Parts: sequence; C-alpha cells; structure tokens
Amino acid sequence: MSQLVTPRRATRSSTADPVSPNSPSGSRPKSTPRRQPVPTAAAKEEEGEHERSTVDALLEALPGRRAQATDLLRLLAPAPALPLLLHGGAATGKTRALLLALRHVRPRPRRVAYAALRSLPSPRALFASLLTQLSPPSSSSSSRLRIPDKPSDFVAALRDALAGLSAQGEAVYLVFDNLEVVRSWDKGGQLLALLLRLYDLLRLPQVVLVYVSSATPDAYYSMTGSVEPNHIYFPDYTVDEVRDILMRGHPNPKLYSSFLSVALKPLFRVTRRVDELVAALEPLFRRYCEPLGDLKAVPDESIKRRLFEHIQPHLAVALNETFSVPTRTSVDECKDRSSGGKASSKRRFGSRDGLLTELEFHMSVSAKYLLLSAFLASRNPATLDAALFDSTGGSDNHRRKRKSSQASMNMKDTMAEEMLLKGPGTFPLERLLAIFQCITSVSEDYLGDVECPDSMMNGSGMTGLMSDVLLQLSTLCNSNFLSKSRSCPLEGSARYRSNIDEDLALKVARSVSFPLSKYIYRR
Amino acid sequence: MVAAVSVPSQAQTVLRGRLCDPAFVHSALRSSPDTNYSKLKYLVASSVSEACNNSVLLLGPRGCGKAAVVDMVLDDLRKEHPDAISVIRLNGMLHNDDNCAMKEIARQLCLEHQLSFSKMASSDDNTEFMIDMLRECGLAHKTILFVLEEFDLFAQGKQRLLYSLLDAMQSLTSQAVVIGVSCRLDADQLLEKRVRSRFSHRKLLFISPSLDDIQLLVEHLLILAKDSGLPAKYITDYNSRLTSIFSDKKFKGCLNSLMDADATTSNILRFLFRAVSYMDVESGFPSIESFLKALSSMQRQPKMDSLQDLSILELYILVCMHRLEDKEQSSYNFTSIMKEYRSIQDAYKTSDKYASTVCFRAFEHLLDRELISFGDNRGRNQALEYRPVKLLISSRELAQSLKLNTTCPVVLQKLFDRERYM
Repeated sequence: MSQLVTPRRATRSSTADPVSPNSPSGSRPKSTPRRQPVPTAAAKEEEGEHERSTVDALLEALPGRRAQATDLLRLLAPAPALPLLLHGGAATGKTRALLLALRHVRPRPRRVAYAALRSLPSPRALFASLLTQLSPPSSSSSSRLRIPDKPSDFVAALRDALAGLSAQGEAVYLVFDNLEVVRSWDKGGQLLALLLRLYDLLRLPQVVLVYVSSATPDAYYSMTGSVEPNHIYFPDYTVDEVRDILMRGHPNPKLYSSFLSVALKPLFRVTRRVDELVAALEPLFRRYCEPLGDLKAVPDESIKRRLFEHIQPHLAVALNETFSVPTRTSVDECKDRSSGGKASSKRRFGSRDGLLTELEFHMSVSAKYLLLSAFLASRNPATLDAALFDSTGGSDNHRRKRKSSQASMNMKDTMAEEMLLKGPGTFPLERLLAIFQCITSVSEDYLGDVECPDSMMNGSGMTGLMSDVLLQLSTLCNSNFLSKSRSCPLEGSARYRSNIDEDLALKVARSVSFPLSKYIYRR
Repeated sequence: MVAAVSVPSQAQTVLRGRLCDPAFVHSALRSSPDTNYSKLKYLVASSVSEACNNSVLLLGPRGCGKAAVVDMVLDDLRKEHPDAISVIRLNGMLHNDDNCAMKEIARQLCLEHQLSFSKMASSDDNTEFMIDMLRECGLAHKTILFVLEEFDLFAQGKQRLLYSLLDAMQSLTSQAVVIGVSCRLDADQLLEKRVRSRFSHRKLLFISPSLDDIQLLVEHLLILAKDSGLPAKYITDYNSRLTSIFSDKKFKGCLNSLMDADATTSNILRFLFRAVSYMDVESGFPSIESFLKALSSMQRQPKMDSLQDLSILELYILVCMHRLEDKEQSSYNFTSIMKEYRSIQDAYKTSDKYASTVCFRAFEHLLDRELISFGDNRGRNQALEYRPVKLLISSRELAQSLKLNTTCPVVLQKLFDRERYM
C-alpha cells in the first residue's frame, strides 16, 4: 500500500510551493486505510492528498485565514452552487483570498469574470465589462458588442453569453467586487436588487455568483431579495497574525522580530489595519536600524536595549501622526543629529506631547497673514472687531473684567457648546480685508527690522504685502484652507469660511511671530 | 490529473445538484393531493382543454416555492399538450416600463412562432401585434400562457400593460391564461378598478411549511435513492447514518432554531447546502457536527463581529459617543467627541492620548464600518468634523463587546459602566 502511494507524494511535494512543515506529518497518519480493494483505496488516498495539498497551498498563501479558505474551497466547488457573499472590514484580504481560491479550486472553472465595481462609473460600464469578459475572444475583434442600456437587455445578453460558455458543463464564476459602492450610484437600488437576484433570473446551474463587500449583509436586505447568499465573514487579523504576516520573507527575521516586539503593540492600539501599520512601521524600522552598522546583524540583549532606547521617542511621535511626508527640515535635522544629538531631539519632542511645532510647508508671508485674519474672522464674533482691532492695532487695553452672574455663565457655556457644534462662522470679504490690514499694520514694526538687501522694498514694505491679496485668497480657497459658502441673501456679497484648526493657526502665527492668542476670543 | 473522483465527493455533487434544482425540491408535491400545485394544474389544464380564458394570482412570502410550482405545471402541460401552449414570461423588476414590457412580449411571441422581430417597432405596433397574435392563436386553438413575475411591480403606474392584456382576453376568439406571481399578499388590491373588473379573483395562497413538512422535505432531499449512480453499500451506510442523525435531539434543536428565525423553504435549502458542503470527505459520511457548524455560520451577528475587530482608540471613540448620548446631548459632532475624549484623558491620565488627526482617522474607520453615521442628509457643505453623527449600535451591544474584548483596558470598562450609576 505504502509503495503505491509514496512515489506520487514525492513528485507532488517537489513541484508544489514551499509546503508548511505540518503537511507531511498531517498526511502520514492517513496512509493507513481500511481493508478495501487496492484501487479505490489508492484513488481515495490520492483524492484526499490532492485536496489536502490544494488546501495547504492555499493556506500558505493566506496566513491566518484557515477557516475562511476551507470554507471558500468547500462552498465554491463543484458547481452548481448557491451564491456566496464575502464580507469583512477593509484590508482583510477578501478579494485576494477569493481570487487565489478560484485558482486552486477543483474542477478548474471555465471562465472567471471579475467586475471591480469600485472602478466602474455607471451601470452601463458594468454591463460592458461583464459582457466583454464573457464573450469568446475571437468575436470581440470582428463585431463590436452592442452594450445594453436597460437591465432587461443586459440579462438577456448575459444569458446568451453564459449559455454559450457553459455548454461543456464546466463552471463559470461571476465575481462582483466592492458591492457596497452600488448603493451610492444613481439608480443604485434597482441595480443592486438586480445583481442580487441574478441567480433567480438566469437559472443556469453552471453559473456561480460571488459577491465581495465590505458592508455587512444587513445592508443588502430589501424587499426584492430572493435567494440569500451564503455568508463568509473575514475578521480582522489579531496581533499575532499581523506579526506573522509582516515577518514573512524578511531578510533578517531576528532583528525584525525584536523591532516588532517593541513597535507593533502600541501601534496596534491605534489601528488594526495592516496597510496602515505597514506604512507606519517602515520608516520606524529604518530609524531602528540606524545605530546598527550592519543590517544583517543578529542583536543580543544589550544591543536590543540600546535600539529600544533609540526608537522610543520616535515611536511616541509615530503614534500621533497619520502619515509623515519627509520635508527638508527633517533632512537637515538628520544632518544635525550627528553633532548635537540629544538636545535637538528633546527640543523637537519635548513640547506639546511630541507634536512638531514648526510648519511643515512653505507659505508666503502675505498668505500667512491672510490665513490668520481668516481664522480670526471665523472664530471671533463680528461685534468684537472694534474692541480688538482699534487704531493702536492691538488689545493693549484689556477687556474689562466684569463679575459675571450665574445666568450669563450658563449662557456662555451653551454658546460655547453651540460653537463646537456649528463650526467656524462665515464672514464677508470686507471684514477679512479690514482685519488683514489691521494686523499687518501691527506687524509692520517687526518686519521693519528684517534686513532687506533690496533697497526698493525698504519704504514700501507694507504695500508689498497688500498687493495680490485677491490672488492669495483664491490660492487659499483652492488649497481648501478657506472655503466659499453661500452668499448672504440680503447683500449678495460672497462669504467665506476658514477651515483650519487652532493648531495649524498657532503654528502659522509662531512662524511670523504674531501673538495670535491675544486675539482669539475665548469664552 | 485526478484518477477518479471519490465516492463521497460524488455523493456531495449529487446532493448539491439536488439542492440547487427547484424542480427536484418541490417534486414531492406532485404526489400529494390538494396542494396548490394540483389546483393550479387543474385550472390551467382545464382552460387549455376547454379553450377559455382565465387568470389567477399566486401569492405568498418569498422562498415558498411559487415560481417552482409554476415551472412544474408548465413542464407537465408541455408534456401533455405539446403543441397547444406557448409561454410568455415577464418579470416586473426588469420590464416594469410598459413599452419595454410590450416589446418583450412581441419579441417572445416572434421567437415562439419563428417570426422576425423588428426592434424599431413602436409600442402601439407591438400592442396591435399582440392582439392579432392572440386572435390568431385562438382560432388555431393554441393557448398563450402569460407568466407575470413580481406582479405587484406591474401594478405601479398606469397599469397599461395589465389593462391591455386582460382586455384582450375578453374577446371571444382569444385563448389566454394570465398567471401572476407576487410576494405581496394584497397584490390584487393594487389593481385599478377597470383592471380589477376584468380579473377573475382566483388566488392561491402559499404558506411556509410546518415543522413536519420540513422534516419530510429534509428526508426527501438528503436520503439517497438506490439509482443515484453510487455504490450500493455506500448508499445503505449513508442512509442509515442519516436516519440516526435525524432522530438525534441536537438535530431537531437545530431545525427548530432555524425555523424560529425564518421558516421558508429557501432558508432550509441554504442550511442543507452548507451542511452538505461541510461534509467530511475523508470519512465520507455526514455527521451532526457539519449540521451544527452550518447552523452557527448562518446565525452570526455582523455588528458584534465588527465590534470585536475594533482597535482600542476606536473603542474609546464609541464610548465617548455613548457618554455624550447618555448626557442627553441631542446632537453632537466630532469636535464635541474630541472634547469629551480630552476630558477623559485629563481625568484618568491613561496612556491612550492621541493627536486629533489620528483620532479622526479612527473616526473615519468607524464610518466605513457603518457603526456610526452622519445624522444629516448631506445638508450643508460642511467639513466632516462638524457634521452631526449618531451611533448605529445599541448600548447593550457595546457593553457586550467591551466584555468580550480581551485587550480592552479596564478604564474603558469603568467609563462605560460608571455613567449608569452617576
């Protein structure tokens, strides 16, 4: 018995993908069959082996997805099969698992038609995509396909195409990826109902429909549903599974695993999506390896501790940013690092819970002042302008502190709540220009100290700022720092709204040395 | 490549083929008397043989076998009277526009009678054509059967198609039967007065099967007959194992809980399909475990699953939103959630204090998972931070998920519970 089976096992394992260590041991106990005639036992063995190696090959490619992969293989093959719905969060590997399973499924499907609904703009494009994928390759060049507009024509054309294909008795798979975007299409509800009822409308036993969606199945319950598909749920990966995924194929596993043991758990508390974790871990790993001269080194305890201390402050920064774009300042800091290491990093990380205090992009000075005046105009109520921006240009005369009664304090609280709810207010263009003129006249004193090599600029420093204000305004609108809102119905002038938050405004103010906090109205 | 398909996989294929074939599923109805099948068959057969017009509605909830019964009746009649019937099928979902429906009728008529169909014909031409065909077929003693699926969708709008169809049937020379299938039990109330007067109020009501019927159906579907093309010894072993499973208490409990949720035939078919697919190919026989596993995979709760997949920061945001709702704030947005979040961090000094951009990214993840959603309907052109949001999960689900989450920090649980006792 064993001689019959062993040669086959050897050839299959040599041609297959790198097999995980548990597969040979898993198959060996099964080679003690019952006392049955030899051919059927061998055939059964081979069938069992074949299925197991299929499953194992699939599991190798999909780490952490054992249950889902076995479910997929069992529910997809052989046709006929009820429709299938794969659902789960984003970046959980649904599409990849499905396409790999379709490659490994036995018997091999005749055709797989894949409709990526996220990249198709309209129902007509969907019909075109499916029909071109299902039509035989020879005829597509000769005769141009008539793309149907109406659903009824589409179903008829689809039925014709599929009947031609599945005559041989092999299965045809139709895959609809990202089904949830159909809900937001124009007339999406009808199309969704049509797609989900396609099984009933076609009534072809060799056609298997598979839907992939990141919305849960209860988003698709409607009155028109008929055959509810079988669900397969893809949960998010756990910490250990993420670690296995990240470790696969890394050239220096020991170094990387020591890095992951430090960096992965804190980042995992923020987000569990593998794509975001990878984007955050890559620059961190580069920083982690900086003190090491040799990337192939295997770290011991002392080295690990040193690397951990090195990475610690960077980790705190990485936890607080979504993605980092390397700017020139950071490159310069790297150069500084060799000279004045600890002090600069403390200055960089010490303030404001590790956030960067400098502005990461460059803006012209007039644009910065315009942005600040827009922020103040949105933030402060219009009645305060006279008090804040008087002829001296500053709030040197302080607001008289009045003893506030309980009622007025309650009213202030409710107004503060309202401000949180409603967001920044709108202001007309004239108010913006007035505030702009006030604060630039204040800062004239500061700007006058700046050394100007060009003698022409000396006298007309302020007019240089005032020019092209409208140009700056349109640039700021295009970059979404300001947005245009509905014009006032009485006057008909345009109103604007500032979109920046207080952190960015403070950064901008700090870069031009403007005392912004004196002007913000705090309740 | 593969030498021979093993016997269990052959059995699996046979069973799966049965479960996906509606004709087989409902074939047990053929033998039993006084079912809707026999009534419909009697009705249609008598109108075919007596050359008279008729109309009937089949009503019942989804998945009860209405379309399958119609198909069975049509197959039987085609065998008995091969030349006397032509069938036109329309679907309310695809052809709800009257012009489109007329065109489809004309197209199918042309197809049946080998005439050439012109796509440029107008709607009036098509209507005239249909009336002419009805007259011709009536003179030739051929009955046209119109099967209108999703009948209630045809009854929206002006009901021009229904009126012209039923009106054409009133003439002496035509022989037509209109079979309407609908899942709305009041589909005939939707008809206009003039249409309803031409409609014979025959209705056949379909109801979900009872527990005994389901038991019989399951046996009919899963027990292999002697002529299934499989070795006889396997069949006897298989059948004996299956009967022992059927008498098992756990299996009965399975069926009961399945029927409590949804007692339609299509639900049972889905369950059996999954159980048959989970059949262990190595041992080759069904087991109670495959049925239980199929049941558990059908009874998942998607929102609870999503809640288990959240990161700690996302759970913080949900708890903050829940606290705001408990404080009876009628509407709140991301900035108020952030204010609550910062006040919690200041009070408890946890290690989970993150910047506003990171929190906003977690907020967007929650929006993608549809655990929270915006409260307004794309009202004003506002930034996302200021639009009102609301929770889409109940507080009980949130409490349960916090308990089940092993990595949840204790302070979060305390924050959630504490507000109840304040």
